[in-house]
Amino acid sequence: MSAREPKKMSRETKSGRKPEGFYVYCIAGRESLSKVFEDALPGAIESDVALELIAQEDLAAVVSPVPLSDYGEDALQQHLTEATWTAVRAMRHEKVVEHFSRRTSVVPLRFGTIYLERARVEQMLSERGAELRAIIERLRGREEWGLNIYSDRAKLLENIATLSPSLRELSESADAATPGQSYLIRKKIDTMRASVAREETKRVAAKVERELSKIGDDVRHLRVLRDEATEHGELAAKFAFLVDRNRFDEFRSAAERVAEDYTSAGFRLELTGPWPAYNFANG
Amino acid sequence: MPDELELLEEGSELSLLETLDHVLNRGLVIAGEITISVADIDLIFLGLNVLLSSVETAHQVLNKQGKK
Repeated sequence: MSAREPKKMSRETKSGRKPEGFYVYCIAGRESLSKVFEDALPGAIESDVALELIAQEDLAAVVSPVPLSDYGEDALQQHLTEATWTAVRAMRHEKVVEHFSRRTSVVPLRFGTIYLERARVEQMLSERGAELRAIIERLRGREEWGLNIYSDRAKLLENIATLSPSLRELSESADAATPGQSYLIRKKIDTMRASVAREETKRVAAKVERELSKIGDDVRHLRVLRDEATEHGELAAKFAFLVDRNRFDEFRSAAERVAEDYTSAGFRLELTGPWPAYNFANG
Repeated sequence: MPDELELLEEGSELSLLETLDHVLNRGLVIAGEITISVADIDLIFLGLNVLLSSVETAHQVLNKQGKK
């Protein structure tokens, strides 16, 4: 970081401090954030600095200074390839957002939003003010709950084999066929079972979504990452629900009810949360 | 185990993967002056999947040693 530093950083450089940017965690109403700042706060994304507020009109952003030697465009890209570095910072981001979202209605930002100057954060708050206020109001008094549907594939396939008459017939004809034919029939059975299992999973997921949407205020379908198999089985579907805090008990009872309905069919439901409303922060 | 992993360990009770998925993939996207592209996020996430399995392993080892 020497003579070739961009001009806009000269202020910090002259004052003898290392060039810094502002890492932004979340945005909320200015007054409510100020109140939260009166009490103890969680640590920032870099442990040696404190959280700050940058306010503009009735809004404020929770930020902390970060050294551009680590968070500048190139340095950041480099760091992001180090999984531990990224995971630790992502967890710190979450702790900060969680702290504020438990105390007031906040708009959680995605990891890695960095500004070079305080004035640019103010400008963003002002330019996107209307949109931000609308999101804050929409999320007020609400939390995000994740719902994961796991399928026990073996159990599901087994059920399908006993439930589907056409599969049963095929299976009987495979038993009676010559070894060569039998092989082909069994391959066909496997394909059919897999496709019936997919349909069944879709049907159950849709039903669960319908039931819980009666209580939740909003729902998002989330993508299932390939590697998300756990001890609960294979992750078959994933939703995020926006739930009014006052209706959470009702929401949980509904989830338990619907979970019971599908346990014997080889499905398991899991609720995670409460989360800051990450999935409902965009528009 | 390095200090940095302590934070990850704390989180593993709440499913670290879920947390990272939220923080890295979701939340309001505001174009700061420095931002991460979505393609990068996907790559990071794949790397984290690998890391997490090793964190969990480390966690289990520590538990067995009665250190936690």
